[in-house]
Amino acid sequence: MTHEELEEAVPLYAIGALERSERQAIEAHLLSGCAACHAALKDYQTVASLLPFGLTPATPPNTLKAKIMMAPPPIPGAAEPEQAGSKSSLEPGEWMNHLFPPIAPARSMPFRLAMGFAAVLIIAGGGYLAWLSYTQTTERSGEIQQLQAAAQQETARVAALQLELQQKDQTIGTLKSEMDQRVTEIAELRDQLLQREAELDDAHTLLTQRDTSQQRVARQNEEFAGLFKNPSSKVVSLAGSDMAKSAGAFILYDPATKKAWLYAYNLPALPSGKVYQLWAIDDKPMSAGVFGLDTGQKARMLIKNLAEFSRMKKFAVTVEPDGGRPEPTGAIYLIGQI
Amino acid sequence: MEAASRQAASTIEPKLLARVAKGDQQAFGQLYDQSSSLLFTLAYRILSDRDEAAELLQEVYLEVWRKIAKYDVGRGSPIAWLVTLTRSRAIDRLRARASRGQHLVADSFDHPLVSHTPDVSQNPYEAREDTELRQMMAKAILELPLPQQQAIEMAFYQGLTHTEIAAKLNQPLGTVKTRIKLAMSKLRASLQHTLPPGEAL
Repeated sequence: MTHEELEEAVPLYAIGALERSERQAIEAHLLSGCAACHAALKDYQTVASLLPFGLTPATPPNTLKAKIMMAPPPIPGAAEPEQAGSKSSLEPGEWMNHLFPPIAPARSMPFRLAMGFAAVLIIAGGGYLAWLSYTQTTERSGEIQQLQAAAQQETARVAALQLELQQKDQTIGTLKSEMDQRVTEIAELRDQLLQREAELDDAHTLLTQRDTSQQRVARQNEEFAGLFKNPSSKVVSLAGSDMAKSAGAFILYDPATKKAWLYAYNLPALPSGKVYQLWAIDDKPMSAGVFGLDTGQKARMLIKNLAEFSRMKKFAVTVEPDGGRPEPTGAIYLIGQI
Repeated sequence: MEAASRQAASTIEPKLLARVAKGDQQAFGQLYDQSSSLLFTLAYRILSDRDEAAELLQEVYLEVWRKIAKYDVGRGSPIAWLVTLTRSRAIDRLRARASRGQHLVADSFDHPLVSHTPDVSQNPYEAREDTELRQMMAKAILELPLPQQQAIEMAFYQGLTHTEIAAKLNQPLGTVKTRIKLAMSKLRASLQHTLPPGEAL
């Protein structure tokens, strides 16, 4: 609406003939402080309020005053507080509450005219202040409502965040207990691993030992085979005596290394506390070592540093007490000549 | 009591309202005596029912009792405040009645703004100032063309908007607006020179 349209709508507003939207437009315009429209409305509103004086007077019922006077008087100073801003729009007549008082009529006497004029000025000033105060109160009230709404929203957000925080705390607690469990499991697994490693070490040691004995056997076999294949080796056969007719043995001798191997078979089992002893006989018997029986009544013995093999004439095996004897004491089981 | 009732509605002093605000029963009685006739006339004019008008007046005076501390002399003359409040509450009732589907007041000239032979005689129970104002108002209204009187009547006493008036009278909206504007403008011009001294507070 243009200002001209607004100005023309003022008398219609004063008498309450405007549509709601038009009313709101005028009220907004008046609140914006248009002095011309304000002055015009002041006049028109006064005219409207005087219209009932044109009616033929009617007399209220005689009993009405008594009924009305029975109403309890208000408590002084406890009037309803002004709820500025609570109304979305002023009612048509409500603008009256913000008006200046009716204008002073023309006076004949200059003094009364001056007095009236002064009164109008004072009242107009008061009215303007009241209007200003109302406008500001309305704005403040609006701001307060906005702030309250904002505060409520913030409170709701804080509550939501607290809830979320609690959930996070719970999750963290759950994860922590799970982690503790995992740590315990890991510790147990480490213990088990250490145990396995120890077992593995034991097994390794055992395996190494086994390897060593096997290697020794293998080495002996190789040595024996090497000696056997060596063309320079010399062989002496020993035959069983009457004590052991099926038994036999042979001796391999390597002159280069001066090592000799005895290999015997079908010897009878030894009584407890007895060993077989090999004798190398030149002019008198010399001990060449003692030996026991392997499984299968076989015997094998390496003889190191058998000096002067070529000087020897005979070899014999007797049964002697444990540890052997410097000279033969027992019966001869094997005998052979070079 | 006669002395009080002779005091004019148009000359109610703001001081009287200040006394009422302090809980002064006597002042409240005086306020009733000065204003009730005009306010009842207004309520009866709008509602066309004496009982309902009396009921409405009870409500209005109760509201006056409660709200009088809020009355500010800077906001308008006491009688203008009372008239505005009474008209507003009466129109509320009229609309409530319409929303219940009840019969509204008869259209337009069953109850004209003023009688065509207005009672401008001196009422022995009426204050001189009110009689003068009544006579001036009647004269000002009767000077308006009938269609303008009708438009004012429908707006002020029936609580109709210009759109509703145009629809009821089957007239263009612009015509109705112009009638109201012209009528208000003429009344304003007439009353600028005839307002009683009491209106100056």
